[in-house]
Amino acid sequence: MAVDITLLFRASVKTVKTRNKALGVAVGGGADGSRDELFRRSPRPKSDFSSRAREVISHIGKLRDFLLEHRKDYINAYSHIMSEYGRMTDTERDQIDQDAQTFMRTCSEAIQQLRTQAHKEIHSQQVKEHRSAVLDFIEDYLKRVCKLYSEQRAIRVKRVVDKKRLSKLEPEPRTKTRESVSSEKVSRDPSQDSEEKSVTEEYPEKVPAESQPELGTWGDGKGEDELSPEEIQMFEQENQRLIGEMNSLFDEVRQIEGRVVEISRLQEIFTEKVLQQEAEIDSIHQLVVGATENIKEGNEDIREDRTKKTKGCRSYSTRHRADGLPTGARTSSGPWPRVLPQPLTTRAETLDPVYTRRPEARCSPHQGASQLQGAE
Amino acid sequence: MVGVKMATAAAASIRERQTVALKRMLNFNVPHVKNSTGEPVWKVLIYDRFGQDIISPLLSVKELRDMGITLHLLLHSDRDPIPDVPAVYFVMPTEENIDRMCQDLRNQLYESYYLNFISAISRSKLEDIANAALAASAVTQVAKVFDQYLNFITLEDDMFVLCNQNKELVSYRAINRPDITDTEMETVMDTIVDSLFCFFVTLGAVPIIRCSRGTAAEMVAVKLDKKLRENLRDARNSLFTGDTLGAGQFSFQRPLLVLVDRNIDLATPLHHTWTYQALVHDVLDFHLNRVNLEESSGVENSPAGARPKRKNKKSYDLTPVDKFWQKHKGSPFPEVAESVQQELESYRAQEDEVKRLKSIMGLEGEDEGAISMLSDNTAKLTSAVSSLPELLEKKRLIDLHTNVATAVLEHIKARKLDVYFEYEEKIMSKTTLDKSLLDIISDPDAGTPEDKMRLFLIYYISAQQAPSEADLEQYKKALTDAGCNLNPLQYIKQWKAFAKMASAPASYGNTTTKPMGLLSRVMNTGSQFVMEGVKNLVLKQQNLPVTRILDNLMEMKSNPETDDYRYFDPKMLRGNDSSVPRNKNPFQEAIVFVVGGGNYIEYQNLVDYIKGKQGKHILYGCSELFNATQFIKQVKCTLVVCFL
Repeated sequence: MAVDITLLFRASVKTVKTRNKALGVAVGGGADGSRDELFRRSPRPKSDFSSRAREVISHIGKLRDFLLEHRKDYINAYSHIMSEYGRMTDTERDQIDQDAQTFMRTCSEAIQQLRTQAHKEIHSQQVKEHRSAVLDFIEDYLKRVCKLYSEQRAIRVKRVVDKKRLSKLEPEPRTKTRESVSSEKVSRDPSQDSEEKSVTEEYPEKVPAESQPELGTWGDGKGEDELSPEEIQMFEQENQRLIGEMNSLFDEVRQIEGRVVEISRLQEIFTEKVLQQEAEIDSIHQLVVGATENIKEGNEDIREDRTKKTKGCRSYSTRHRADGLPTGARTSSGPWPRVLPQPLTTRAETLDPVYTRRPEARCSPHQGASQLQGAE
Repeated sequence: MVGVKMATAAAASIRERQTVALKRMLNFNVPHVKNSTGEPVWKVLIYDRFGQDIISPLLSVKELRDMGITLHLLLHSDRDPIPDVPAVYFVMPTEENIDRMCQDLRNQLYESYYLNFISAISRSKLEDIANAALAASAVTQVAKVFDQYLNFITLEDDMFVLCNQNKELVSYRAINRPDITDTEMETVMDTIVDSLFCFFVTLGAVPIIRCSRGTAAEMVAVKLDKKLRENLRDARNSLFTGDTLGAGQFSFQRPLLVLVDRNIDLATPLHHTWTYQALVHDVLDFHLNRVNLEESSGVENSPAGARPKRKNKKSYDLTPVDKFWQKHKGSPFPEVAESVQQELESYRAQEDEVKRLKSIMGLEGEDEGAISMLSDNTAKLTSAVSSLPELLEKKRLIDLHTNVATAVLEHIKARKLDVYFEYEEKIMSKTTLDKSLLDIISDPDAGTPEDKMRLFLIYYISAQQAPSEADLEQYKKALTDAGCNLNPLQYIKQWKAFAKMASAPASYGNTTTKPMGLLSRVMNTGSQFVMEGVKNLVLKQQNLPVTRILDNLMEMKSNPETDDYRYFDPKMLRGNDSSVPRNKNPFQEAIVFVVGGGNYIEYQNLVDYIKGKQGKHILYGCSELFNATQFIKQVKCTLVVCFL
């Protein structure tokens, strides 16, 4: 094992001192020596870097102490039933969370600053290495303290979630107990098997309705102290069956939960894909809407045209350029002031029975049609 | 029962003890306690080459970092002043080191100094430092001065070496060369004894020493006994009392130290070996648990005139964390090859599993099967993700061992080392030889000249009577034809003559090696370890001479070989060296130390021996570690006749 010879060393120092004095070697003299040491020490500048590093460390230490101090209160789950003294409200907890987070942020910023500064100053390779290692240590320290904090917080969040879950489940156990009570009531009369079944099957609905009258009968039935062995057995069987049913229900619910999770995942994937195709779908939608509108208008116009045609042939051809656009001038009552879109020409004959049904020559519509057709 | 448990724990792991001591030193000489929310402290570590050799097998750079060390530097390098940081020194108390430390003090390099000397520093040197500190007005800066008593290198849990840096000083040659003077011998012995003393201080136990007569080992034993005795008598400064002992004070039994000289068995260092660790040491460049490989860049025909491709140098650390290494370092090589294959396959299976999960998660619910598989895959996925770092580490180890084993295999195939091994085993166990020695020596394909020399030397050493002059001439001619230098033979001749005078040559037990059929698995799976033509030899347990000696002494068996071993007990008041052991009970712990050099073959043999015995522990140490090549080199230069 190692042997501490520091004292031996100090003794050697004394020996050397006295020896030097005796020999008259100047070592800075006896009493002056210590003063000289002090003088020689003070001009040595305490490194800026290290003092700041120490500052950061002390800050982190303060944070750590603060967290440890309040840790017990923080994670205390039963604060709502404990005395006022040790309680910590949720707002206080949130406050702690926030404070801790801002603190951690400032600390890590300080570390970053130190790092940039250390690199800027021109120093030897060894000093640089040393400084970056020191900063790594400080960061590591900060991480460890943050871990403390995040553990605390995780416990708290878990507690809240558990509480919520428990509070959701609360009605079930109550309904279960009620239901078993009611089943007991019913099973008292063995001839009412069907009623039993109906009770167990519809227990969620029946319970609220039954609870009141049941309580009444329960109160009445209190007189009976002994239950006959058959009844006990039946109760037991009933209980067993109920337990089995509950378990299977529970399992099924679990499975369904799992499947629902998967389905949701798949849906996510689908939505993703769908969103990608959103733009295209939109444009298609636009086109389709526009197309239907145009066709409607086209049809209307053609009908009007037909009715008007009986009144007299008008030369529409001139009004229609090959590309289906009206010539600049307007006629008197321009039933065709609008622009016929290009697609209409291609679909007109197929879509509208007006054109196709009366292929025999009509002067202008047919011509118009042929014009339009020719415009293809 | 707690006491007994402590007893076994005490000698169980010298590595652990040394590591604990180092960590304490790095923690400013205060016991190290892990505190997860402790403030960081930083320091700089300065060491010399001795310190480096001691620390490097025990602590990795990462572990040093965890202890808060930002920089680790050699003492005799250019070091810049780093203000405001404590410096921990771990050096040997030599003249140059002390001078350099004084210089550091004068230059005010660091804020405070924690000086730790690997072995005890003398008073005068301490005063030198005091002088320098005074001159530099730095006395208060020297915070602590410690003697660490860690002057030995631990390589394994149960194996240690004395030194690496100055091993020429304590090498086999240094001890056995004929022209050594008394003073030189004294120095060598002192060095060895100092290290052994440090070893026992760290172990925390005072051993009972037994050694053979008339050898260098005896000199070591006498000196060690004297040193231990002096230290025990010195009540004030004894290192073996009270709190300094730690767990060691609970051991009810004292360990046995067996000091043997290399000269009792020269065949084992020359022996060709078949176990993994020993092979790596023999065939590759392996020391201080680090193996250096030169990776050949494949068989490529470089165009004429082009520069040959630079070979990649890779070095690997074989550490106790490496589970594969720990399990297989003593296994025969074919077993190792097979195990690497197995590990590789299991790793690939795990990797495929992870990949499969990845691809399933990417499916877009195309079929029912995928959807139903999704349900129980979330758990699998989390476990796969968390096991990824483990997987990567496993891969790294598999790669490492594949490379190392491939390199070893190449050597085996090129030099036909399996043939040599088998033959030597037969020679050493005196079974009939199916091939004549001359054939093997004159065979141009089998092995380097050195291999042939080794084989012949083993034959010569284990032969009951020397071969006739004519035979010898024949062999010599064959050896020279094969390109061997005959100097080692001269040496062995002299040695044998001397050994004959002293005692009967050591026998190696009667066991055989059975060549089993070629490993079908390795052959057929087209693995990298194509061991075509390499025999799958299975080692049968045999006891090398050192193991036999230990067995006799530990179990208090009577045997002419060991009966006249000297007996030392430093704790006894009257320091007489009777040969009558006072202690009649078998020992539970033993330390075997070979003066003059040891090797992994002996180590492995001891480990195998003790495996069969419940509750017993052995530590193996030697003054230096050499493989056959190095041994022959040393022996080549020791020509002239007289021995110690």
